Amino acid sequence: MTEEEEDSSAKMSEDVKRYLKLDTRSSAAATSEPPCSSSSSASALANNKSRNFKSFEPPCPDHVLENVLENVLQFLTSRCDRNAVSLVCRSWWRVEAQTRFEVFIGNCYSLSPLRLTHRFTRVRSLVLKGKPRFADFNLMPRNWGAQFAPWVAATAKAYPWLEKVHLKRMFVTDDDLALLAESFPGFKELTLVCCEGFGTSGIAVVANKCRQLKVLDLLESEVTDDEVDWLSCFPASETHLESLSFDCVESPINFKALEELVVRSPFLKKLRTNRFVSLEVLHRLMVRAPQLTSLGTGSFSPENVLQGEQEPDYAAAFRACKSISCLSGFRDLTPEYLPAISPVCANLTSLNFSYANISPDMLKPIIRNCHNIRVFWALDSICDEGLQAVAATCKELRELRVFPFDPREDSEGPISGVGLQAISEGCRKLESILYFCQRMTNGAVTAMSENCPQLTVFRLCIMGRHRPDHVTGKPMDVGFGAIVKNCKKLTRLAVSGLLTDEAFSYIGEYGKLIRTLSVAFAGNSDRALRYVLEGCPKLQKLEIRDSPFGDVGLRSGMHRYCNMRFVWLSSCVLSRGGCREVAHALPNVVVEVFGSDDDDDDDTVTGDYVETLYLYRSLDGPRKDAPKFVTIL
Amino acid sequence: MSEGNLAVMKPETMKSYIWLQTADGSIQQVEQEVAMFCPMICQEVIQKGVGSSKNHAISLPQRVNPAMFSLVLDYCRFHQMPGRSNKERKTYDERFIRMDTKRLCELTSAADSLQLKPLVDLTSRALARIIEGKTPEEIREIFHLPDDLTEEEKLEPLKNTMDDPRIRLLNRLYAKKRKELKERERLKNVEVEEHVDERSVDDLLSFINSRDPKVVKKKKKKKKKIVSSNDIHDKESHDLHSKQQCVVKTGSSMREVPNLPSAEDDISTPKARSEDEDDEIDPAMREMLDREVEDFAQRLNSNWVRSLGQERRPVHFSINGNGTTRRHTGQSP
Repeated sequence: MTEEEEDSSAKMSEDVKRYLKLDTRSSAAATSEPPCSSSSSASALANNKSRNFKSFEPPCPDHVLENVLENVLQFLTSRCDRNAVSLVCRSWWRVEAQTRFEVFIGNCYSLSPLRLTHRFTRVRSLVLKGKPRFADFNLMPRNWGAQFAPWVAATAKAYPWLEKVHLKRMFVTDDDLALLAESFPGFKELTLVCCEGFGTSGIAVVANKCRQLKVLDLLESEVTDDEVDWLSCFPASETHLESLSFDCVESPINFKALEELVVRSPFLKKLRTNRFVSLEVLHRLMVRAPQLTSLGTGSFSPENVLQGEQEPDYAAAFRACKSISCLSGFRDLTPEYLPAISPVCANLTSLNFSYANISPDMLKPIIRNCHNIRVFWALDSICDEGLQAVAATCKELRELRVFPFDPREDSEGPISGVGLQAISEGCRKLESILYFCQRMTNGAVTAMSENCPQLTVFRLCIMGRHRPDHVTGKPMDVGFGAIVKNCKKLTRLAVSGLLTDEAFSYIGEYGKLIRTLSVAFAGNSDRALRYVLEGCPKLQKLEIRDSPFGDVGLRSGMHRYCNMRFVWLSSCVLSRGGCREVAHALPNVVVEVFGSDDDDDDDTVTGDYVETLYLYRSLDGPRKDAPKFVTIL
Repeated sequence: MSEGNLAVMKPETMKSYIWLQTADGSIQQVEQEVAMFCPMICQEVIQKGVGSSKNHAISLPQRVNPAMFSLVLDYCRFHQMPGRSNKERKTYDERFIRMDTKRLCELTSAADSLQLKPLVDLTSRALARIIEGKTPEEIREIFHLPDDLTEEEKLEPLKNTMDDPRIRLLNRLYAKKRKELKERERLKNVEVEEHVDERSVDDLLSFINSRDPKVVKKKKKKKKKIVSSNDIHDKESHDLHSKQQCVVKTGSSMREVPNLPSAEDDISTPKARSEDEDDEIDPAMREMLDREVEDFAQRLNSNWVRSLGQERRPVHFSINGNGTTRRHTGQSP
């Protein structure tokens, strides 16, 4: 039976393959049922078997499976599997839609809220992403969009049992938060990453009305100071809080309220305070919550410097918190107090020093004990020397991020290829790296490609434009080429430095799994863009700025824009005509053009030059909420 | 009946059996402690007092055939023993579910109707593992499911689409063909219907790949029947119209795409067929199919021909924290 099926399937594949000039692998879709599948009469069956078609089984397996499909699907949670299941056949599509509890929408404009609520009826968790990443660099004018309002309105009606909302780069107002708090009595988790548009008053409403709240995480968001004491708004009874993060909230807080909240939150595991929390306050919090696993230490600076025994024993507080595995904060570090964290170093798996100006000498005694660290973020103030210390001890390191203390493009820079090479030699299990530096060599990058085969994320930012290998003076092509050739698991790549089209030919050819590509100030011509768009089979997100790519390059990707989440091209050499061509050819893709500021209408309308092109696929056509400065072609 | 109940309540008095009847009518007796492991059977015994004799056998749900029931009993027999360690149970389970997919489906269904949740979960998990990581095509093949989603519906996944646009179009054409043939089905007698059904798709494939003699041969035989019937001729012309409409509709929904490359070979091949074949085929139908195929080929063989590689399954997305890049203006990694 199976062999017969395989034969006929293979044969059909061959047919399709020859006609469409596809390779055999992809023609599996052509093995659809013969036409009489819907009417399964006995004679049809008999005929089928003799005709060497893919044998059609009686409908039993399907019906049998349908009875229990819900049960089976509950064990399938990954988005990939869910999507695959939904595409199998109509009945499975239906059951999957009814049993998908967590929905992820990578681009809030790829579909309308109505489509979401129509298809999925029992959603409990929603993840929404709005603006593309380059918006973080002031490349996108304010009020561009990505409003949460229509989503909260639609889900408020459709999913009263909604428990979790996770937003990234969305515009969220206080009203939205209020509606959320009122509409979902069982609401449990709110995470806002890189969001804006709301203030402490919105947070207060959530704190007050969401009685089942377990997670309130505000990460890297802009929160206006409405001078509301939101911490006092939590209900007076015991809370269900497990995670509370407000390190991005740039306003003073009521310490007493926070302390009392911590006391009546026995399940609290993650507490990330903001820079207004001094060491003294931190100490009191730690004493009351020794069960914490993740701590954002606030300023890590004492309010008042007391002498001798009057000073709280910070090290003891850390010693008492036996479960701490993740430390962050240090927003305004007073170096003398850093050694207080020593008792927890051996258990640390994640350490974030990226707000602290830490020198190599400050770092070394600490990092020496951090054998279990997997995630380490720091400023480049730690210098190559500090990185060497990390390499010497942190053998379990999986993720490293080194940010520039002084992001100007012309300073000398304390870290270089030396640090990168050291890390590559010491931390062989490295999977993800983000590295800002002023100078780099192909040799160091190549070394990393050879020493760290597990790399999935490689983001190198050589500050200053078009900087070549500072030892040889050559472009950085060889280094990045080595990365794509040797790191076979690479899914995310960000390039920088002086790069010619050749680098992109490597990326296009070897970057088989790359899904996200970031390019800035690179390439010589449209060929570079063509290499990428005609290669990189898994490319989903392409963001490019200030590179010499034009209409020809843009056109070379027409065959695949429907299958990508988005493409961003700013300060390149695109013309309106070229962009319009794409818009007309691809009805399922929305093509937006706009300037980098709230330009006068004149500039954006009359000029042929396109400052920014942002295109993305959409099931529901162009959005209705585009501001005036955005033109949808 | 109360005596029967008592016997059920006190298993240590004597070995009691429960009488059960499977969907096929056969009756068997099963040790009480084993059978009672199934909540559904338990319920029947306690609430309705049945199962204590052959004449009052408990009728099992339809989805429980003898083969499946035997498996379920094995499972119950093992697990109802209190002395077993977790490790033993786990090992048993792992070995127990090693069976082909079809049986696994049936077993899941049987366990479900007997309300035996541990077994339902065990088998469901096993099925989920089979499904994990597969493409829709592969899943369809494993479970013998029809590909009956419209193109619109297939566009809907909120993540990237699975198929190359060409495959989607091919499926759409197939779906349209199926619909048309279903139409015809309703208007003719059964036997002839079937031939028409199969042959049309066959036709399409043969036009696509006219080099395959096997396919052509089969086609020859059946075509005679069709051509001879008057009914069909009429229907043909009627269908010709509807087909044309479909083609036109397809045309309007697609935009003009430039750069028709030199894949004309594929389009011209159907026309370069031998005389023999032409004789057998209704010219109207052939013309119509030719046009459709040409149309289809044009649409397909536009820019997409150049695309390298196939996007089949989306790689698992992960929500990336992007780091504190917000603070850093200027270049972005």
